[in-house]
Amino acid sequence: MRTVESEIGAILAGSISEITQRSIFRRLGGMARAPLQHLSTQDRHAIQAELESSVRLFAPAKSAQLIASCARALALLGAPAAPAAAGVAGAPGGHAAPAASGADKRLAIDSEKDIASARLEAWSEAVRIGLSKFASVKVATAVSELARNIVFYAGKGTIELRSRLDVRETRLEIVAADQGAGIEPEKLDAIFAGTFRSERGMGKGLVAVQKLVDEFQIDSRPGRGTRVSCVFRGAR
Amino acid sequence: MKPRDEQELPIIRIRGCLLVSIQTELHDRLALELRSALMERVRTQRVRGVILDVSWVEVIDSYITRILNDIGKSVRFMGADCYMVGIRPAVAMTLVEMGVELDAVSTALSLDAALEKLELPR
Repeated sequence: MRTVESEIGAILAGSISEITQRSIFRRLGGMARAPLQHLSTQDRHAIQAELESSVRLFAPAKSAQLIASCARALALLGAPAAPAAAGVAGAPGGHAAPAASGADKRLAIDSEKDIASARLEAWSEAVRIGLSKFASVKVATAVSELARNIVFYAGKGTIELRSRLDVRETRLEIVAADQGAGIEPEKLDAIFAGTFRSERGMGKGLVAVQKLVDEFQIDSRPGRGTRVSCVFRGAR
Repeated sequence: MKPRDEQELPIIRIRGCLLVSIQTELHDRLALELRSALMERVRTQRVRGVILDVSWVEVIDSYITRILNDIGKSVRFMGADCYMVGIRPAVAMTLVEMGVELDAVSTALSLDAALEKLELPR
């Protein structure tokens, strides 16, 4: 049976002594020994918060990595995404069926202050699904670029964050869409060829995003708008 | 029409240099204001250099980089030096991956290090 104690214990082993681990689990009370799939999202967040402060205290050098691993374990091995999906919940060992859990978030981008909040939102989503600290900063930076493009050149639009966790990898897709003026094909080619120059640095952001992500796709039609989709991956 | 958080960034004078700690979102207007305020004080106070502390900034994208670089360029045109200090490791790595240029500002590990470098006779 997978419990917080067994799963998190395996993560912390080698970084935090068993005695200290026991005192950490004691603080979690009954939740430490409850089967993971019975814990509510709220419980798992509470556990994660408790673990974060303990890990920072007892293993400061590796805290970022450990916190991410804990988050991953709790998000993946907890309650299945669909509440009554008995088949998934009952899968022995949990790893037999890819317990895909993920969330979609849609952010409206209307003004400059939305850039900062989109960035924060993207950051916390990246950390939540267990991407590394470096990858999370890259995610936040890419979202910042895309949000800025929306505000500067289209006025308003949306950014969607779609995260997927499965046995092999963590995947975060970012989709930025607007109904702005769009970019002409020749201009788009020039931007990615590095030959396009503009006063505000238009296009620079797109090129930067392309370099940061694992997958990149842009679809833009003059007069109709622009849609950029990119994917970050983290190995599990 | 004015953004809510539209406050000028405080500029501190320290050992013949100007120090700005960037702790808020650098939007267009704030960046321009910061640049002209710095220019003015570089001129009137005859400072040796300008130090931009970004240790609070968790994300620097290509736009912010360009703003910082423009500030550096302007400061250099006036004959002072511009340093950026406290850049976070993940931010530095991201900037490298993005391939953005930051050639008009020098960097130093800390405020102390920047001040030391600025105090060396040139």
